[in-house]
Amino acid sequence: MRLIEGVMYRNYAPKDGTDPDRITFVQVDADKCQACGACEEVCATGAIQSINDDEIHQVVDPVACMNCGQCLTNCPYGAIYEGVSFVDELFEKLKDPDTIVVSMPAPSVRYGLGECFGAATGTYVGGKMHAALRKLGFNYIWDTEFAADVTIMEEGTELIDRVKEQGEKDARPLPQFTSCCPGWIKFAETFYPDLMPNLSSCKSPIGMLGPLAKTYGAKETDTNPKKIYTVSIMPCIAKKYEGIRPELTDSGFSDIDATINTRELAYMIKKAGIDFNNLPDQDPDPVLGESTGAATIFGNSGGVMEAALRLAYEVLSGEKLNDPNIKVVRTHEGIKTADINVPNFGVVKVAIASGLKNAAKICDEVRAGKSPYHFIEIMTCPGGCVNGGGQPLDPEIQASLFRSTVAQINRRFRARKIKA
Amino acid sequence: MKMKRRSFLKACGVMTGYAVLSVNIASEAFAAAMSFVASRQKSVYAADANPKIYKFRKSQNNPMITKIYNKDGGFLHDGPCGHKSHELLHTEYIDRSAKLSALKAKGYKLNF
Repeated sequence: MRLIEGVMYRNYAPKDGTDPDRITFVQVDADKCQACGACEEVCATGAIQSINDDEIHQVVDPVACMNCGQCLTNCPYGAIYEGVSFVDELFEKLKDPDTIVVSMPAPSVRYGLGECFGAATGTYVGGKMHAALRKLGFNYIWDTEFAADVTIMEEGTELIDRVKEQGEKDARPLPQFTSCCPGWIKFAETFYPDLMPNLSSCKSPIGMLGPLAKTYGAKETDTNPKKIYTVSIMPCIAKKYEGIRPELTDSGFSDIDATINTRELAYMIKKAGIDFNNLPDQDPDPVLGESTGAATIFGNSGGVMEAALRLAYEVLSGEKLNDPNIKVVRTHEGIKTADINVPNFGVVKVAIASGLKNAAKICDEVRAGKSPYHFIEIMTCPGGCVNGGGQPLDPEIQASLFRSTVAQINRRFRARKIKA
Repeated sequence: MKMKRRSFLKACGVMTGYAVLSVNIASEAFAAAMSFVASRQKSVYAADANPKIYKFRKSQNNPMITKIYNKDGGFLHDGPCGHKSHELLHTEYIDRSAKLSALKAKGYKLNF
């Protein structure tokens, strides 16, 4: 075990072929658990429960856990640890002259990473992040944001195709759900498998960048794809599950070799003695690096929707979208719905939800055949990836012993009321 | 019911807590957490709207996207959702509900 940015990590990098459903990505340290129940309150599926009379909590089985890590980021006692960490393996690969290490950071990482180096919450550090990755020894600074742009092209086109084919034989159903969020995908596969035909068949941006790196990227840079080691850098814990999905081998190799999160990247930068705050801003390498504003907003709840609408509007109407701000789909928490008027087409009905309890409400509606929407975006973490389980912790949650004590009192009080 | 020493101390804690506090701290903590998220969200939209960070705001305007989907020799020349895309960029999903049913059969209570 090792402490990384306030969170304990087990040094365990699963080998190719390990069944991700058998791995515990998030677990409670029973010795540190104070039985306050904050984790149980934020867990949508009920995977984390008290297991004895002292109300010590545990994730009861990895099958029930969507690996979102909201329990971890909301635990006032730092009692929840991560079960998978590729940090040691990655340091080895970075040292190996025969391995071509490729960076693939998600949009949200650049809005969280700075906090580990003293910056204010949300400070954008994209340029410094690219510079730090170069300093760490990554051979190619490619960026998941580029793949987010590819995702919009693929997922937007899929949506337009689905809308067009309604009424035809074998038409794929509407609404179409987004498929970027690994917690949501596992949730749908586990709890709503009957809705799998509604999921966009698009891989997530990282699921696309892995195989693009080992095919297109290898070709463009004249690199032997066998030597490429792709590193997914995410604001997320569930992406570690996605990274080892056995079906993600379309490049002919394992598409994603390692997954780390924002906290682990900060740890590696500190461990390598890099003076992050004084780094110059640098761009990614262009082949699989250049990106747009549409890609960066993937990190927010409502962002994928807005980015997709920026494409769908222009394709469906044949007109230019003058103002790319589609603020009506931006959402802070909960469920949001909107009607978008597209000239020469009609109304596109959309819904956006974050948090799996909200997702379940929407899924029930779709299951009942009562959903009026064309396109639905779901994110597991409230507010989106910027609030992901792999992001730097909110200092408020652990800082105040007073507040955590109160949380415990509240919990006890409620438990008493129920029993009485 | 006989009260153990530990439960007695906890009950005292509950009473003291509620004597001192008149507001619902749990919801206040939630609001604080969401303002933390809001700062990050705001920064994301600011970067999207900042031409010094992102020259383009629509995926279809990214020059590298134009290049990869170029009809003449682009890597994905058959376009979005084309043959090559389906090979590399699309996937299928796996029904995991049997694993869930097995877990429920063991007696675990879950929310859905």
